[in-house]
Amino acid sequence: MAYFLQLVISGIVVGSIYALSGLGFVLIYKSSRVLNIAHGQIIASGAFITYALTVWLEIPLYISFFISMGATFFLAMSVERVFLRRLIGEPIISVIMVTIGLMSILDGIIYLTPFGSVNYSFPEFFPKTPVNIGPATISWTQLVGLIITFVLIGLFSWFFKRSTVGISMRAVSDDQFASMSVGISVPRVFGLAWAMAGMSAAAAGGIIGNITGLNFETLHAFGIIVFPVVILGGLDSIIGAVVAGIIMGLIQQFASGYLDGKWGLNGTADVLPYVILLVILLFKPHGLFGTHEIERV
Amino acid sequence: MSANRWFATGNFFSAYRDEQRIFTTHLDRAIFITFLAALFIWPLCFEVSSKYMLVLDNILIAMVAIIGLNLVTGFAGLISIGHAAFVGVGAYTLALLARTIGDSHVIITHAWPLMLLACGAMGAVFGGFVGLPALRLKHLYLAIATLSFQMIFQWTINFLPLFNQGQTIPVGRVFWFTGEVSRRDHYFFWYYVTLTIVVIFGLSVRNLLRTRYGRSLVAVRDNDRAADAMGMHPGLTKVYAFGLAGFFAGVAGGLHAYLYRGVGIESFMLHQSITYLAMAIVGGLGTLTGAFFGPAAIRLLDLQVENLVGWSAQFLPATMNLATALKPLTFGLVIVLFLMFEPRGIANWWRICRVYIKLWPFRY
Repeated sequence: MAYFLQLVISGIVVGSIYALSGLGFVLIYKSSRVLNIAHGQIIASGAFITYALTVWLEIPLYISFFISMGATFFLAMSVERVFLRRLIGEPIISVIMVTIGLMSILDGIIYLTPFGSVNYSFPEFFPKTPVNIGPATISWTQLVGLIITFVLIGLFSWFFKRSTVGISMRAVSDDQFASMSVGISVPRVFGLAWAMAGMSAAAAGGIIGNITGLNFETLHAFGIIVFPVVILGGLDSIIGAVVAGIIMGLIQQFASGYLDGKWGLNGTADVLPYVILLVILLFKPHGLFGTHEIERV
Repeated sequence: MSANRWFATGNFFSAYRDEQRIFTTHLDRAIFITFLAALFIWPLCFEVSSKYMLVLDNILIAMVAIIGLNLVTGFAGLISIGHAAFVGVGAYTLALLARTIGDSHVIITHAWPLMLLACGAMGAVFGGFVGLPALRLKHLYLAIATLSFQMIFQWTINFLPLFNQGQTIPVGRVFWFTGEVSRRDHYFFWYYVTLTIVVIFGLSVRNLLRTRYGRSLVAVRDNDRAADAMGMHPGLTKVYAFGLAGFFAGVAGGLHAYLYRGVGIESFMLHQSITYLAMAIVGGLGTLTGAFFGPAAIRLLDLQVENLVGWSAQFLPATMNLATALKPLTFGLVIVLFLMFEPRGIANWWRICRVYIKLWPFRY
């Protein structure tokens, strides 16, 4: 039972980070119908900026966390402005390939910095003694990360539901022409969606960096694992991303906790999300909460 | 068509059959045959180092794979982010056989043309199987389904002892009529084999595209509901497009296994799939010539970057690993620049050149 509870807790921690990464992904998809494959790289650069500011420039963690969110805000916004805006109306394959190209470019830039080859880890900011929850334990870093993640998810959801910019984003995702006719600047909304996604990615990166350390490969993998998460939740649903993120985190933890080592299986946590993804795509192509698109000739 | 079939400045088709000819003029055919002959003869005239021969072999193998990717992504419009996995299926078919019956068994060394076909067939089976979700899925969802096939493939190879957990599985040297192909002639030999295969596949795809099966691919890409209404079967067409692409990829995988005399997972990873997509895009999606330009352009770019890194290593401290940084950087830049400024790829430049020459001395 203790083992089970432990798995549940670590699953929720990992899953909440998936949820936060998936949130940014969904934001971009929902407003501009772009599948951002470079999301993992934005997460990674957020984590690296946070580390550089905290450890090399010795700025307190909570300030550098916000500075890195600001930095990726502008990074993602300029990416949208320079590369994606001229591709509005192009076929899907072009848009996907541009984000793949971006992924490569960001990879190259990250490999130029020390982060590409050396693994760093954040110093411990929180007490080392873990917190006991019943028979299971959770480290302070994880607990704080979890709280910050849920606060951020709450803030983003509130922003999307209530604020003027959020409402205009929802309007654009619903109908671009109609929203243009009521005076919403669609390109500006696209830019803002990217910028918000960048912010959430940086936050996710900072939290992952604190929990698992800064390994570019691991951070990179977060950008890919986001796919099963958002497909499970439905590509255009924020609630879906959150729920699916946590489900996926739990599934991964259970897989590595219960399946690995039995019947010669190993590393099932890496493959199970994709198997689930295929199954979902076959039986429920629009995910748990996604909207059905009705196609006409 | 006008009587002069050697020089034609414009299009004078008076029957659909004329328009569908593979070569519009006799001159085209003559130039094509001369070019092919030159490709076959030049390695006999010059001494080529095996480093460059290997690059050429790689380009040709990539061409085989890209012809397939171009069919499924360019002509049928189904985005596949798992093409390297199909190539891997072909390569691992051979590797698995080599592992069970011994890497220098007579079937592998002597019956290699049959083995290549078997690799292709296995690729086609997997292609058709992965294409099944295409019956329900479209666009982005389908792209992600192929991505997940890629990830599942990588995991399977990496974790099953049957596949040596992704470590290299050796494949023996092949025999030709003159005996075993020696180490010196190895790359040379596979240059000819791959070139022949590229020519055969290129011509057969060109032919396919003027039959109803080829046209149905394009129809499904442009609007699958309309194609359905016109009596085609979009689902079947999609699965068959994936199957064909899998076949080409499987053959490419078999060639890769024979060329490197071994199979390891690192040649069939996700970034290889992305490289294949980039090749198809830089070459020009939905054009057959693009399948030849793209691999050449990307592989030569890689080679140049490697040369540049090797040259600059003398100025830089040894700790700085420029190659890992510059390769993705240039690669990404090339993709992005092509998509922004020439989305129709190098094949479009080729088309412009041809039209210019054809119309000369009139303005294009």
